[in-house]
Amino acid sequence: MFQKVLIANRGEIAVRIIRACRELGIETVAVYSEADRQALHVRYADQAYLLGPAPSRDSYLRGEKIIEIAHKSGASAIHPGYGFLAERADFAQACIDEGLAFIGPKPSSIAAMGDKAVARATVSSAGVPVVPGTEGQGSLGDDDLLALAPQVGFPLLIKASAGGGGKGMREVRSMEEMPGLIHSARREAEAAFGDGNVYLEKLVEAARHIEIQVLADQLGDTIYLGERECSLQRRHQKLLEESPSPFIDDDEDLRSRMGQVAVRAAQSVGYLNAGTIEFLVDKDKNFYFLEMNTRLQVEHPVTEMVTGVDIVKEQIRIARGRPMRYTQDHIHLNGWAIECRINAEDPYNDFLPSTGQITHILMPTGPGVRIDTGVYPGFEISPYYDSLISKVIVWGETRAEAILRMRRALEEYKLVGVRTNIPFHQNLMDSFRFFGGQFDTRFIEERFSMEPATNSRAYNPEVAAILATLVAHRQTRLAANIVQRGARDTSNWKWLGRWERLQR
Amino acid sequence: MRYITTIGDQEYLVEILDEHHVLIEGRPIEVDFSEISDQPVYSLLLDGNSYEGYVYPTDKTWQVLLHGRLYPALVEDERERRLRAAAGSQVQESGEYYLKAPMPGLVVAIPVVEGQPVKKGDVLIVLESMKMQNELKSPRDGLAARLRVKPGDSVVQHQTILSVI
Repeated sequence: MFQKVLIANRGEIAVRIIRACRELGIETVAVYSEADRQALHVRYADQAYLLGPAPSRDSYLRGEKIIEIAHKSGASAIHPGYGFLAERADFAQACIDEGLAFIGPKPSSIAAMGDKAVARATVSSAGVPVVPGTEGQGSLGDDDLLALAPQVGFPLLIKASAGGGGKGMREVRSMEEMPGLIHSARREAEAAFGDGNVYLEKLVEAARHIEIQVLADQLGDTIYLGERECSLQRRHQKLLEESPSPFIDDDEDLRSRMGQVAVRAAQSVGYLNAGTIEFLVDKDKNFYFLEMNTRLQVEHPVTEMVTGVDIVKEQIRIARGRPMRYTQDHIHLNGWAIECRINAEDPYNDFLPSTGQITHILMPTGPGVRIDTGVYPGFEISPYYDSLISKVIVWGETRAEAILRMRRALEEYKLVGVRTNIPFHQNLMDSFRFFGGQFDTRFIEERFSMEPATNSRAYNPEVAAILATLVAHRQTRLAANIVQRGARDTSNWKWLGRWERLQR
Repeated sequence: MRYITTIGDQEYLVEILDEHHVLIEGRPIEVDFSEISDQPVYSLLLDGNSYEGYVYPTDKTWQVLLHGRLYPALVEDERERRLRAAAGSQVQESGEYYLKAPMPGLVVAIPVVEGQPVKKGDVLIVLESMKMQNELKSPRDGLAARLRVKPGDSVVQHQTILSVI
């Protein structure tokens, strides 16, 4: 049992974890970089210690220093949040070696799931389906690839082993196309990464990215908390998540099959605490294991909203060695939840990150709206960390109600000082395809446009023009008053009094 | 007072008659316009319809945040507009374009070399900031010149990186 937890993170997730601890009556220790002295997590925690300069490697990635602070402050457990040290098996091990509880999985599970080839092999021997492919079979020659292609099955993808960003990737529909496309993929991979090695992977058409949240306690019980739909991504960055998935919707059979497979995948590595199994789901509802995230996730609130389970509190309970408060029979999805990630990115300029000071901010509230954030008026968005400003999470009885509520919440959201992707989310909420649940992982990049939906209530440039003109006009008149001193017809004192009133 | 207010490529002719009356594109509208406390927040009643917006100045334009959307608006009176029309057109295409860092970051790659011809939309530099790699592109055709940084350099916001001539 521990009474004090150190949170080895920053931003909204550190605040989220502090809140759970406070509700449980557990004391909290924050750590911070020089750039975060005024951050909310420092101000909310019971204790706070400086880690070092702003860059992550000098601060939030300094595992030894964090363990040292845990000892100094009397914390007996560490919650890593997400990112930074959350999926570092060596850090989890170091905590345990130092007699500290690591609020997360065992180091061996992190390591097993961290290596993609090992993870694939482990879960597939436990009977979990994986996307058929040749990854992890080393560098294969052209003849080997041609021989293996029919086994993988068409259509398939040729992917660069050193790859990323679609470079060296080719879609192949038939055997006849194979030789030519292997050559061009190798050429492109060689040029882009200096490594011409490629592998084959079955192309999952109209793929959706759906993940299952699991929880496992030390008494050997493992449960799943339904799914999250995460297909709306841009450059592999998730932008919006919802639970349940509109694709699974009322298909309870698919949901429980995916849940049971997720539980099996977790058990295959002796998993403990909260984790997420990511699946690719094709249009015929076949699903394949993609990877496991061995940590709390950014999008965990949508699951919390529909299941009523406080995942962070459950994580702490599990780390304390207690049984979970729930068994599988307790878990039912109630209503619909959607999360929009509000990032400091300019959707009209290729999602370029925007830095600067948040001069004004007013976040939505009211029925069914939850905001997780680490910012406040005057907060400086720095280039050192990710661009997440806040998460807007809404709950509705139905998906339609959740969408309409999100639309309302985004209209209420007022933030001045940095560019945000709020207009992107508004366009998404206005999109018929989104409303109809008709989207896959390629939707944002291939079929979505930032052109304003002119039928939207939220699009009103004429009113904006009137507003800008009135403000500009008022300012011009004010300036004219100040310049034309000689033209004043009243006494200087009277004028000064008026001027001061105007400045108020 | 007559103003021409530009949002995107759309122009709006706004004539302010008095405190409570405005002509927009010749249409009369009854206006009530009120600043809320000491914030740049304005409540606007247009013929009884209520709008709330944040309005704040940047370099040359006003930024209007309305229903979650940001509209950059250029407000000019008739004289300013004539001046700009007279001065504008000649300089733009021939002058040197200075690519400035839109945010602080680390130079990851510079895919162009000194003197290389570039086309509009070509990537001039890859800048890493907020854990993302961002491609900064050329706004027009020209030659890449005066490279002032190299891969691995840190740049501050608004620092000039290179020129397109």
